[in-house]
Amino acid sequence: MGETKNESRLLLFLVAALMIPVGLFVGGGGDATSWSFIIIAAPMVAFPIILIAGQIWNGHPLWTNTLKEGGIPALMTMTITLGMGLWVITDYIRGVAHIESYTVSHILSWISFDVMTHTSNQWVILPNWEISFGVWVDQTTLMLLFVATFLTFLICWFAIGYMTTDEINENRNHRFFAEYLLFTAGMFGMVLADNFLWLFIFWEIMGLCSYLLIGFYYWKPSAASAAKKAFMTTRVGDVFLMVGLLILYHIYGSLDFSVVFDDPSTGVAGAAVDASLLGWALIMLFIGAVGKSAQFPLHVWLPDAMEGPTPVSALIHAATMVNAGLYLVARMVPFVDVANGGVHGLEDIGLLVAWVGGITAFMAAGIAFVQNDIKKVLAYSTMSQLAYIFTGLGAALWFFNHDGDAMRTAGIIVLGSSLFHLFNHAMAKGMLFMASGSVIHEMHHAHHHLHHDHHDDTHSDVSEIPEALVSLVKHLRTEGLTLREFFDSLDIDSSRTLTVNELQSGLVSTSIVDDSTDVELLVNAMDRNGDGEIDPVELDKYMMDFLIGGKIESHGDHDDFDPQDMRNMGGLAAHLPVTSTAMMLGSMSIIGIPLIGGFWSKEGIVGHTWDAYFHGEPLMLGPALLILLTAGMTGFYMSRMWFMTFAGSPKSEVVDHVHETTPWIKTPLVTLSLVTAFTGLILTMFGAVKFLGGKYDHLEFHHGGFVEEFVYALEHAFLPSDPNFMIVGYTTILLSFIIGPWFAMRIHGGSLKEGSSAIPLVSWLVNLSSRPSKMDVTNMAESSLAKALEERLYIDYLYEEIIRRTVIPFALLSACFDRKIIDGIVKGIEKGSQASSERIRLLTTGSARDYILYAAVGALSIIFLLMGVSS
Amino acid sequence: MNELEILTLTPLFAGLLLLLIYEVVPSSTKKQATDLIKYANMGIAILLFGLATQIGLEHDWLSTWSSGSFGAQGSYLLESDYTSLISSIGVNWHVGIDALSYPMIWLTTLLIPISMLVQWDADKGAQFHSLILLMEGALLGVFAVLDLFMFYVYWELTLVPMFFLILVWGGEDRRYAAMKFFIYTFAASILMLIGILIVYFHSAPVAGISGSLTHHHFDIPLLMQQSSLISSAGLRTVVFLLMLIGFATKMPSVPVHTWLPDAHVQAPTAGSMLLAGVMLKMGAYGFLRVAVSLFPQETITMIPLLVFLGMASLFYGAWVCLGQTNLKRMVAYSSVSHMGLIFLGIATMQPLGIAGALFMMFAHGIISPLLFAVCGAFKHHYHTLEIGSMRGLAHHSPFMAGHMMLGWMASLGLPLMAGFVAEVAIMIAFWMTFGWWVLIPALTLILTAAYYLWSMQRTIFESGDPHHGILPDTMHGDEPRDVTWHENAGMFILGGLAILFGILPALFFDMMSNWSTGLVSEVIIDALTALGVTP
Repeated sequence: MGETKNESRLLLFLVAALMIPVGLFVGGGGDATSWSFIIIAAPMVAFPIILIAGQIWNGHPLWTNTLKEGGIPALMTMTITLGMGLWVITDYIRGVAHIESYTVSHILSWISFDVMTHTSNQWVILPNWEISFGVWVDQTTLMLLFVATFLTFLICWFAIGYMTTDEINENRNHRFFAEYLLFTAGMFGMVLADNFLWLFIFWEIMGLCSYLLIGFYYWKPSAASAAKKAFMTTRVGDVFLMVGLLILYHIYGSLDFSVVFDDPSTGVAGAAVDASLLGWALIMLFIGAVGKSAQFPLHVWLPDAMEGPTPVSALIHAATMVNAGLYLVARMVPFVDVANGGVHGLEDIGLLVAWVGGITAFMAAGIAFVQNDIKKVLAYSTMSQLAYIFTGLGAALWFFNHDGDAMRTAGIIVLGSSLFHLFNHAMAKGMLFMASGSVIHEMHHAHHHLHHDHHDDTHSDVSEIPEALVSLVKHLRTEGLTLREFFDSLDIDSSRTLTVNELQSGLVSTSIVDDSTDVELLVNAMDRNGDGEIDPVELDKYMMDFLIGGKIESHGDHDDFDPQDMRNMGGLAAHLPVTSTAMMLGSMSIIGIPLIGGFWSKEGIVGHTWDAYFHGEPLMLGPALLILLTAGMTGFYMSRMWFMTFAGSPKSEVVDHVHETTPWIKTPLVTLSLVTAFTGLILTMFGAVKFLGGKYDHLEFHHGGFVEEFVYALEHAFLPSDPNFMIVGYTTILLSFIIGPWFAMRIHGGSLKEGSSAIPLVSWLVNLSSRPSKMDVTNMAESSLAKALEERLYIDYLYEEIIRRTVIPFALLSACFDRKIIDGIVKGIEKGSQASSERIRLLTTGSARDYILYAAVGALSIIFLLMGVSS
Repeated sequence: MNELEILTLTPLFAGLLLLLIYEVVPSSTKKQATDLIKYANMGIAILLFGLATQIGLEHDWLSTWSSGSFGAQGSYLLESDYTSLISSIGVNWHVGIDALSYPMIWLTTLLIPISMLVQWDADKGAQFHSLILLMEGALLGVFAVLDLFMFYVYWELTLVPMFFLILVWGGEDRRYAAMKFFIYTFAASILMLIGILIVYFHSAPVAGISGSLTHHHFDIPLLMQQSSLISSAGLRTVVFLLMLIGFATKMPSVPVHTWLPDAHVQAPTAGSMLLAGVMLKMGAYGFLRVAVSLFPQETITMIPLLVFLGMASLFYGAWVCLGQTNLKRMVAYSSVSHMGLIFLGIATMQPLGIAGALFMMFAHGIISPLLFAVCGAFKHHYHTLEIGSMRGLAHHSPFMAGHMMLGWMASLGLPLMAGFVAEVAIMIAFWMTFGWWVLIPALTLILTAAYYLWSMQRTIFESGDPHHGILPDTMHGDEPRDVTWHENAGMFILGGLAILFGILPALFFDMMSNWSTGLVSEVIIDALTALGVTP
């Protein structure tokens, strides 16, 4: 693979790119915000360049080896944006620049127009309306800007290692990196935009890129349909979001944050804002957010989106795009913030948001229990954690919509906690996806390696197979049998693996094939590892490939082995030290293990959702209970994932051949491990929660020095003055830290194989997991609930069924109606006129003089007719 | 002769001349003559594009009208003097442009060289390209003249080159499609002609302009200034409806749209590009220039009808798209669907909505030629248009797949592309006037996305094999190819412009907005007041 060669010289390119922000810093006048549009412009310009350059220089050694098929230019662009982003961010959090609705308006004038209205009994034109683009900076912007620039940089780094070492991507990577850059431009633009319309515009650009990136492996039917599903589902939300924007525009006469947030209770021309209309607008915006952040009932796209390459999952489905919905909901706070001119009577919006969040959190965590694909677990975990944040934001909206200082303070804390959780989750989940990518990458390569050593000589050419397989498929089709039923009819127990002879005799006995057909070829092809046994599941999958793709994957693609399936893993801690540590820390952060990452924000969300209930909102009990339970479930499924992957003895021979290789993959993991482990605490000490809640203008120690801050943070977390917080807080810790992981250990824990050992950072956990007595859950795994969870509670099927039964027939009916009825009438007239034209033909004498006469008579009669009418 | 007259008349005469030259050259030199004539056509088309751009740059489009003079004589740029053509009945040569017609003129001069470029290798190239130049002359005439008689003449004149383009260079069923196209739209414009004639007979005499025999005239600016053009409200409604039928057929709007899919499927690529890009816009242009400008009160009373037609085209059209199996038919129906938005924009009676409708005409004029260029290239290289017969286009024809994706995305209204600007403008205005009814056009956006994504899934994606696509049977073992250089160049230009006008719509939007404000403040508000309409 050539991964081990030293490529650190390539980092010189990054140093060169860093010169641009540094140069601007030194020579550009010092005001970071006015240069911040470069953060959007740089990737947008680089996108077509990489795309077209890649198309031209595909295969050129310089392009492939030095520029990594566009990876290095992309990383250079990310360096520029990271440099610019950090410059902007530090200016504010140090307190050099101040957040007082800082906005650089009119970077670009988009459209200008006039509006007609009816006032004081006459129609008048209100001139000079405009929609333009500018940059807006506040605490939320800064936090998301950091998340976006920092993570996109690291993920791009990771992607160079992940994408360019896989043969299947050869000569296609420029497309990946170009689309990646366009995506980041969309994310940066959405974060920085100073009005709702441009927020929406960049939001849609992200949607496009997510479509393109999920469909990166365009030849796979599953990827193509996942891409379509993602785009369509988010589109449903986006349409409502757009309607929401129309309403807002009508109310305020502008979509600029500076205008709308200035006084949300006063609309255009000083009119009072109608709370119910504004409420509808906010609900519409929220539906958009639900789609983008994959919440119930528009959540169906996210798990399927795992079809994309793993860096894409890390980028879109953990770190950036799915946060767009949260960002939008956070932007709704000023509308309900009654202390600052918000509109009264909108607390129901908060309840709606919290309920959707609570339901999704619980549902997704439940489905994550039964997933065996490592990325699917992370996908559902993402959905569930985002739902947490939604619940927190819902509570914040509810608090902000009530008068009183206590309510407002609670609102600030829970808003800050939610946004802080967004930060912690993005860091941890970005890392988890990259770590899972590392696992998958190494499993895939180990399998590839192993496969080549073992099988090249034992298998004959695959192109000879289909003859027997075609007969089998034909037989099943004509008989209307599934494969399992077929084996049942032969009295072969298909729930276990079959021997080669069984299959062969089965095929011969049903005269699907006669003796002359070489069944052995088929059998050999099924039996990939050459142990003389065939897994019916494998055979089924093989046949599906045949039926769907029309072709059978050749040996090189070894589709039969799924490197993402955790049932093939186990014991990887011995082979992947960096990855297992990263994944451990990431999981801890997501679970909310005290002192690590997500703990510092999750407590605030759970506590204050309960607080809203204690403040006399009975309907808040539902979400509050749901997310409390989810905390325990999170503890279970995240631990389960880790133990299944890294602890216990290996579940396939591939595991022993796994090892970490390229530094392109390890570096971001190490960086993010440190970030995940420490930033939660550090930022808490700097007052991040109140900063993000909008109370502080910059980050600093507010209660004295380092030690005082540390003590304050601990005291606040573990010994809150309010007994309610104490109870809720410790219940959460008990559920997520003790009960969840303990069950996971009992089911999936175990020590490593004899003779292998892990680094001390993780070996304690592996050893710990082998202690509790084992629990057998086979019965539970076969229950109908488990089945329903595996089938995603049948929601996807329901949607598909609805579409199949209504949309498609109606579309076909419309097309038929158009052809038969509407065009049919025209054709009918045509036929009728053909008959009359036979008679008319008698008049066509062929003499020019006659025609002139007809024309003259006709024209004159028309003119006389009209003169009669006109007089 | 001012620049506008040069711009309008050159292609007509040059096209005819080149056609004739080709006929008279001896057959031994036909081959060289073909090349020369093709280059001559292209050269003229590019020069005209330069001239049109120059006209755009040298005028201030944001102050073409001042209060009280909207649409009146003298409020047009490059307005010519009256030159009597048929003095007995008062037909005059009178041209002039404003912000309504200029974008269409610029668009026409842009699309002509691009459509020539895309079909640079057409059979019988000399005649083909000369006919396209002739087409340009007819189209520019429609947008430039201010005399209703000449407007009608040019209107019908556009049918002639298009008829031959379909008849000679069309697909297998070209005879039927050409006849249907011609008769259908001709019949509809006869109704429009009757409307025009009724207007004519109600025009007040103006010395030097009206006909010596009839004492009437066809001049739009003068008609707009004339108070109480037709006194009978019933007759006004009849005239308005007659014109509406003529214009709606051209647009086309449901239920008089069925000529379009047939014409498109059979037309050659360049023909389709011009048909969708410019010819359809004649309907909306004429509707605003003649029907709305002359009969604002009838427009206001007919708003429910306009909304119904718009909604029907948009919503029903999208459903029909979803049921299509032929790529080009689907794209043709998507034009019907998008044109529905134009009626909706006009029906809002808001300056923003009308400006949005104008921008929709323009944006669709950039995007739909791209769509048809892609369809044409697909047909050219894969010999089929059935959706699903070809899988994995991205592997064999990456450029074609890329252009397809860009075009499809632009057409489904993706932001930062031209179509989105129009959609947003129309929707904002639509909410202001009609409130929650906006959900119907908004939900249609989901359907639009559905049919485009569905067709891409079954064309670009899903080959099942990373190294091969599934080729259609029609290939007969041919090696699949990517687009040719000239197709590629044309598509790159159109795609680039679709993005440019999505990011910087102000280049044209602001002048359209200015014109719309003029129409509303000078014409529509008077009508609203006269009718006593309140919100």
